[in-house]
Amino acid sequence: MAGELALSARGVRMEYRDRASDARLVAIEKMDLDVRDGEFVSLLGPSGCGKSTFLKIVNGLIKATAGEIRLRTNGKGREDAMVFQDAALFPWYSVMDNVAYGLVCAGVPRAEARKRAAPLIELVGLSGFETKYPYQLSGGMQQRANLARALAVDAAILLMDEPFASLDAQTREIMQAELLRIWNAARKTVIFVTHQIEEAVYLSDRVVVMSARPGRILDDITIDLPRPRGLEIKRGAEFGAYAERIWKLLTTTRMSQGTA
Amino acid sequence: MIARIRANERLFYGILGFVVVLAVWELAGDLGLYRKSLLSTPSLVWTAAVQDFGSGTIWPDLRTSGIEFALGFISALIVGIPLGFAIGLFARVDDTVSPLLYGIYSTPKAAIAPLIILVFGIGLESKVILVFLLTFFSIIVSTVSGVRAVNERHLDLAQSFGASRMLRLRSVVLPSTFPFILTGIRIATGRALVGVIVAEELAANEGIGHYIELYGAFLQTSRVMLGVVLLGVFGVALGEIVKRVEKRYEVWRPEIH
Repeated sequence: MAGELALSARGVRMEYRDRASDARLVAIEKMDLDVRDGEFVSLLGPSGCGKSTFLKIVNGLIKATAGEIRLRTNGKGREDAMVFQDAALFPWYSVMDNVAYGLVCAGVPRAEARKRAAPLIELVGLSGFETKYPYQLSGGMQQRANLARALAVDAAILLMDEPFASLDAQTREIMQAELLRIWNAARKTVIFVTHQIEEAVYLSDRVVVMSARPGRILDDITIDLPRPRGLEIKRGAEFGAYAERIWKLLTTTRMSQGTA
Repeated sequence: MIARIRANERLFYGILGFVVVLAVWELAGDLGLYRKSLLSTPSLVWTAAVQDFGSGTIWPDLRTSGIEFALGFISALIVGIPLGFAIGLFARVDDTVSPLLYGIYSTPKAAIAPLIILVFGIGLESKVILVFLLTFFSIIVSTVSGVRAVNERHLDLAQSFGASRMLRLRSVVLPSTFPFILTGIRIATGRALVGVIVAEELAANEGIGHYIELYGAFLQTSRVMLGVVLLGVFGVALGEIVKRVEKRYEVWRPEIH
């Protein structure tokens, strides 16, 4: 199983037509990306580099102008599930029904969907909050529910679109560690979009660094840090070296593009 | 616990307000500050109420007004809510129907009330139609704004999980539109009441509007006031019912004060 491709993208290109000037804007120039089974890959880059757009293309929410994306099917349910930036929970559903929603969409009867949602609520640490409504949860807890909802459909690939961007620094760290714990338990392939260098290095097996306008891959860096990773590795020299390298890459590109 | 104390407090001050107004009204009448034959007094209104409810002569009026109100209002809901969804969901329906609706809306209903009575007679039909015309627009407008206010991210999410069109409507559009519809209903109840009374005062043989009109002509102001008070009670009761429904269906929404 290991080493098999979970996702393979070839020549993905995304163009928009700007309504005001009628000019063509290239959001993603030409993107090739391979992600192996069980791998945790981050797409890192400044806003406007097309990283979220790429995720939406993979998810099928938008259609690429050109290129091809292949997802390996696991033969049970969906291939990919999205974890949205703002938790995007339905305020009129309880935590339980929100987590079960993906299953209901897949045609699972509601009672059965709830039954299957229960262990995932436990996995993300929301036991006891099943009947609560989203407004009764903190931002971190909402993201836990968001994650549980994506896990519930048992997709092979999790697509995570800056899920911790709106959390405060401390909650964000806790959630990063939690995500690694859950990833370890659930054994999913993860494509994680972020603009935070430190977050990408901490979480990932590989960090794919992208540049803005047009979005393209600058480098694909393998993060060779031992797992399981505690938060303390962020203080280590190796971690610092990775972060420094990526930071330099991003800054020099910005300087040469004159957009800094 | 605190919420309950707060609720009791609200009730107390609510009642206090009424008591003060009634006391001032009564006292001013007894002191001869105005002519009782024109504005009556609370005690005289009470006497009239005891008489008319005791003899039962007021019941047919109440029933007639109630039926007119209910039929007009319910038909406005039956037509207004689906039409509102259609306008909100389909641009073509919006383009076709909306100018027409705004035209109807802009016409003061009091101006066409005599025409409606002329065409449909002085019975039930003309009142129901007038109530319908006065209310269905607020229902449509609130439904449309509800459909348009649906959070794009919620639709994205449903689509991302592959929800069918029907499921998207049921799980996203309907629940997020519901509070808007309730607001429309709340606005519409007041307008519906106006419709009933205006139509009845213009021409009717029965109904609270007719009751007020009739006793006004005989200068029996206690009964006129009784009619007005009954309308007020009815309006407040309806508002309270809508509020209860809002509470029941909006457990998910934090209370905003």
